Amino acid sequence: MQATDRMFSRRQLLSRLGNGTGLLGLAAVLEQEMFAETAPVISRLTNASPLSEKPTHFAPRAKRIIHLWMNGAPSQVDTFDPKPALKQYAGQRPENTVKLKTEFDTGGLLPSPFQFARYGQSGIEISELFPHLAKLADELCVIRSMHTDVPVHESSNWMLFTGSIQPVRPSYGSWLLYGLGTENQNLPGFVVLGEGQPVNGPSNWSSRFLPGIYQGCQVAVPKQYNPRDVIPHLQNSQLSSESQRREVDFIQRLNQMHGSRQGAENAFSARIESLELAFRMQMSAADAFDISQETAATFDMYGLSGSEARLVATVPGQSTVDRTLFGRNCLLARRLVERGVRVVQIYCGRAQPWDTHSRNSQGHRDLCQVVDRPIAGLLQDLKQRGLLDETLILWGGEFGRTPTSQGNDGRDHNHYGFTSWLAGGGVKGGMVYGATDEFGFKAIEKRMHVHDLHATMLHLMGINHEKLTFRYSGRDFRLTDIHGQVAHDILA
Amino acid sequence: MTNTTGIRNRAGIRSVTMNAPFSFSRTTFVFLLIVWTVALPTTAAESDPSGIEYFEREIRPLFAEHCYACHSATAKAANKLKGGLLLDTPSGIRRGGESGPNVIPGKPAESTLMSALRHDSLQMPPDSKLSDALISKFEHWIQLGAPMPESNDEAMAVRSIDWTEARRDWAFQSPIEHDLPAIKNNAWPVSFLDHFTLSAMESRGLIPNQKASKRELIRRATFDLIGLPPAPEEVDEFLKDDRPEAFAAVIDRLLKSPHYGERWARYWLDLARYADDEGNSFLSPTPNAYLYRDWVIRAFNQDLPYDEFLRLQLAGDEFPLTSNDYQQQWAGLGFQGLGPQFRKGAAGEAKAKADEIEDRVDTLSRGLLGLTVSCARCHDHKFDPIPTRDYYSMAAAYNGAVWSERVLADADSTNQYRAWEQQLQQQRAELDKWIADQGRNFGRRELDRIEEYLIAAWRIRALIRRGQLIDEAVAVEQGNLLGYPLNRLVRSLDPLASRGPLDAWILVADQTELSDKVPDELRIATQSIKDAVVTALRRLETKADATTNGTVVPEPLTEADQKLLTWLWQDGSSPFFIKNKEVPSLLDAQQKSESQTRQTKIEQKLSERPAIPAMPSVSGGGDPLHILVRGNPLQPGEQAPPGFLRVLGGQAEGGTANRFTRRQLADAIASPQNPLTARVFVNRVWHYHFGRGIVATLGNFGRQGTPPTHPELLDTLAVRFVRSGWSVKALHREIMLSATYQLGSQSNERNGSIDPDNHYLWRMNPRRLDIEAWRDALLSVSGRLDPKVGGPTLNQRTPAIKERPEDDFFTYLVGNVLDDPTNSRRTVYSIVSRYSPNPTAGLFDFPEPNVVSEIRNVTTIPQQQLFVLNSPLTIAMAKAFAARLTQSFSTEHDRLNFAWNLAYGRSPTAAEEQLSHDFLSVTPQNAAADQFGPWEQLCHSLLCSNEFAFIP
Repeated sequence: MQATDRMFSRRQLLSRLGNGTGLLGLAAVLEQEMFAETAPVISRLTNASPLSEKPTHFAPRAKRIIHLWMNGAPSQVDTFDPKPALKQYAGQRPENTVKLKTEFDTGGLLPSPFQFARYGQSGIEISELFPHLAKLADELCVIRSMHTDVPVHESSNWMLFTGSIQPVRPSYGSWLLYGLGTENQNLPGFVVLGEGQPVNGPSNWSSRFLPGIYQGCQVAVPKQYNPRDVIPHLQNSQLSSESQRREVDFIQRLNQMHGSRQGAENAFSARIESLELAFRMQMSAADAFDISQETAATFDMYGLSGSEARLVATVPGQSTVDRTLFGRNCLLARRLVERGVRVVQIYCGRAQPWDTHSRNSQGHRDLCQVVDRPIAGLLQDLKQRGLLDETLILWGGEFGRTPTSQGNDGRDHNHYGFTSWLAGGGVKGGMVYGATDEFGFKAIEKRMHVHDLHATMLHLMGINHEKLTFRYSGRDFRLTDIHGQVAHDILA
Repeated sequence: MTNTTGIRNRAGIRSVTMNAPFSFSRTTFVFLLIVWTVALPTTAAESDPSGIEYFEREIRPLFAEHCYACHSATAKAANKLKGGLLLDTPSGIRRGGESGPNVIPGKPAESTLMSALRHDSLQMPPDSKLSDALISKFEHWIQLGAPMPESNDEAMAVRSIDWTEARRDWAFQSPIEHDLPAIKNNAWPVSFLDHFTLSAMESRGLIPNQKASKRELIRRATFDLIGLPPAPEEVDEFLKDDRPEAFAAVIDRLLKSPHYGERWARYWLDLARYADDEGNSFLSPTPNAYLYRDWVIRAFNQDLPYDEFLRLQLAGDEFPLTSNDYQQQWAGLGFQGLGPQFRKGAAGEAKAKADEIEDRVDTLSRGLLGLTVSCARCHDHKFDPIPTRDYYSMAAAYNGAVWSERVLADADSTNQYRAWEQQLQQQRAELDKWIADQGRNFGRRELDRIEEYLIAAWRIRALIRRGQLIDEAVAVEQGNLLGYPLNRLVRSLDPLASRGPLDAWILVADQTELSDKVPDELRIATQSIKDAVVTALRRLETKADATTNGTVVPEPLTEADQKLLTWLWQDGSSPFFIKNKEVPSLLDAQQKSESQTRQTKIEQKLSERPAIPAMPSVSGGGDPLHILVRGNPLQPGEQAPPGFLRVLGGQAEGGTANRFTRRQLADAIASPQNPLTARVFVNRVWHYHFGRGIVATLGNFGRQGTPPTHPELLDTLAVRFVRSGWSVKALHREIMLSATYQLGSQSNERNGSIDPDNHYLWRMNPRRLDIEAWRDALLSVSGRLDPKVGGPTLNQRTPAIKERPEDDFFTYLVGNVLDDPTNSRRTVYSIVSRYSPNPTAGLFDFPEPNVVSEIRNVTTIPQQQLFVLNSPLTIAMAKAFAARLTQSFSTEHDRLNFAWNLAYGRSPTAAEEQLSHDFLSVTPQNAAADQFGPWEQLCHSLLCSNEFAFIP
């Protein structure tokens, strides 16, 4: 659009951003890591939007992340961590589990009612709850030795998303946007899909002290929707796109004049950039969210055909998880990463459906029935399209659940040991990493803290987690704080 | 603590456990000093978790059920203690009463408890001996060593805090007025507070910005005090006023404006977690909640002293009536009455009550005291000197309280209102009963086809076992059965569900392979259920007939019959129990008409509501509470002595108070002696003037909070605030007349390199307008603002609820909607719903109304700008704004000048005028299709711009 170039150059405008402290931290890092050249840092960075793609520390193995967060925390011993000893010691509380305190007091060991079998060439053991995903066992890198700090949802959600049990740090998605930018400037680089709000709500994907532009963009798509409406107010009823561009340019010129009178201000720049992003989103978001372009075969792959699409899991006392919504969010995730969105996080319904303090077995049966097919469909679809190699999938909860019982058939929170799995970009498929004790309570072999997971994720994305820093309040911050070991064993 | 979101975990207990050895604060790492010493006699049994678990699971409930009536602190308080024996504390259990040692660990035979339970000696419980099975549990427990958790003795001060030491923390010391600190640049300060800020700047090498321009000042002050932009004539008047007191005159004018209360009430409502509906799992509007909101607006406008403001909100009903203005005296109680009310159904009354009390304690402690007291509901506070006992001591103010509606009027009017209310309730109850009866009849009718349902359920279960996915809709299509009972039947038959009288049938069904023809075994099994149902129904119904006419000899309904009918039909969770909400879809035409008639009568009654104000309030409270072990209402422990927090001087050791009323609570908080109340409020006001509090964590002055940047200033302001008679308006004047408040907001590279976040106030922070001020400014600039103060939010013509078919019949409240372009009331009058929060409000950082909001986020995301660019609201406002310009002036220059003065409070610069001229004069291609003319676009642009969105 020629009017744009004549009236307003975004690059001129954004040159102001380079003065903020925002980019200097990374600039220094990149300078050190990547470039022997002596060009001034600012001049290089000011030529780009804070969201444009930035060089990595080393060759990335994955370019994008899809995080399937089973909010509320699934039970490892019912899903990916078979423990036959639970049957043998059912109802007992062996000595070495007594001191493991969780949120509530739990009773004796509660065996899983679900059958496990070996799948794929790798023979990974998976429970009957994931019949579809099991067919893709050879794609999975199952980490059975995850652990985190506390058996409390709020804190552990923040740990999982921000690397801190307090709501004071930026989300890892924000760190990745800050470090890498995004491949598609016309869509938010960090999208959060789900229904309602999970526990902690937007503080899980907040950018905190990183510039606001790096925060996650929440999109809650209702059951019936028009792709032009998923993001509210996506269309202007009054102006053609050309005329609106002209108006936006005018607004930005006013903003620019205002900014030059007031001096550099992150809050002003963020709003300016946000307006640009909003303008571009009008076109690209409608397209990205338009799943009518998908074939019947694709819908089927995600379990979105026929009566199956109407499946709903209801865990007593918890929110429901709806196949239509969860499955469609998986499909949307593929459409988004296909378009270069850097980070997509999906949560599994309002609040925390997986929090099975009671009726754990039925709850897992119902929940897995809803999510299994869409997750398998997502992996399969990405694979077919050649996207899986550069897309990292992370599945798991904020912690796991106890192998001991709470009430008759409940399981409490368990931060000592749990299972997450990775697939795709740069990880070894068909692999089991680490182990819990004989009851599945505590991670004992190749223990992997959430900080280690973060370090590994960043590594796969081409970032040295110790070098991605942001100077704030007199010190350099990083996602992994003073922690984090890359799990080299799982790298492909 | 961590739980600022108020989200509860599965069990509904606040998750506040934290094992972190330290916590991060933005400026520094604080390694925590635990100020109390723990003196615990530890025995092997006490530290044995499985033994303790046994005690908690098996023994304590028995004590509670059979013994507490005569052997607990409650009994003692009620003068009902028998034999000097306390069984609600570990030491009491061990020590025993007048009959000597009660429990000797490991030696059941020698323990008095055992001989009493066996009725060998004392015969306890006296009315009936416990079963042998239960007695053997006690024996087993004593053999284990009588393990009991250490925390049970909390009320007996097993954990001792060194209170003198704890109170030494700055936040618990009474604030004093500090001497002015030494400064170098004596010419700069205008008021006392400038000495404190300048001293902090000078010691860090910061140089204060230049003073803001007069245009900036009046814009800043007007947004700050009334939440609206200044009118162009107000700006002109101020510019012309050369007197030194010109700015003070502006402040006084603004403080007298009725719009002042609207702006500042909204901040208070964030704290008071105000909403127009209850925080329930279904939509329950409180149409008169606005009476509280309007009370808060009036209180600010009248400059009601802050201590009185608090007293009326906490205990207005317990202080003597000072006039016959019942609204003035009682409407403030909405602070408590409008808090969440939880369902008392399945989750249990005790739990709901405990959660409701926690909400009140949390709101007032974080909101008024800056302390996270509710962390101590489940465990001693990990960081602050607030033991669990103190939570329950203070929460006693709400124990026994009810949140029912209060009529804000004299007795006669109250009676008149109550009579109307009773009639309405009766009509509603009759309708509910009628619906329930229809549901019962439907269930009864379908029971006649029980065999068809069982066979359908068998097929569905078999398909599910094969891994096929099927839902009730499919089965309904097959068999013309009702989907609702069928689906419930399928779920009830699950072996993981509780067992019932159909177990034998399930066994057969699950072993029967799926086939088109029903195999004989299953047919026989099904027929036998059918027969049993028919028999049971006959017995039930002949019994009923017999009762009515006395002629038929009743056939007895056996226990098995009853069990079967309960399992299938009569219990709320039975498959054939048709819940009320399912009934409407099953009604036939005649029944529908009957239902409609009843509905219409109710609506008629509603429209006859007497014009007497009534709203959710609070009454009663003050009864002692038992400590709930780990916050669990099912595990009551020791009774906590009722009273205020010990660290703030409450419940003197050895105190004998047996009540702690809300009035006492109010007196303890709204007191010059309370070291936190004035500080916390002054800090909030400071935050709203500067964008950051002196203590940045407005709701946490504890060790997890951020330390004050200007502690002496905070203290001095607090002291002066109290001395002014707790006058909020005086506080505004004090702050706004300072040189610090009047600094320019421009950035400065040098200062920025030392203090990037402006903690030391070398400039005014440019603050983005919150959603209220931004929307109100849109309305104001476009000439659409309705300046009416107060009044209902929701449609008073009831029901104030509608369904939205496009959202699966999601229900929502009807009234002033924030983003409705036809709503011209100020934003403070928009609906705040806990059930269906307005998405636009959320998009612009409006806080969650279920819990006290400590501080608002300021986020910047593209969807906000989509709203700015494309929403019907901004488009309508731009059109109105443009019409205002074109109607008022004819030349481009005059119109631009007016536009800039309305939107920004200044005239355009030459560059801006040129830019605008270019924009207006070039007609873009395809402009014919645009519905937005050039002036409308220009006005829209101003409303979308940064300058419009920030307070300078």
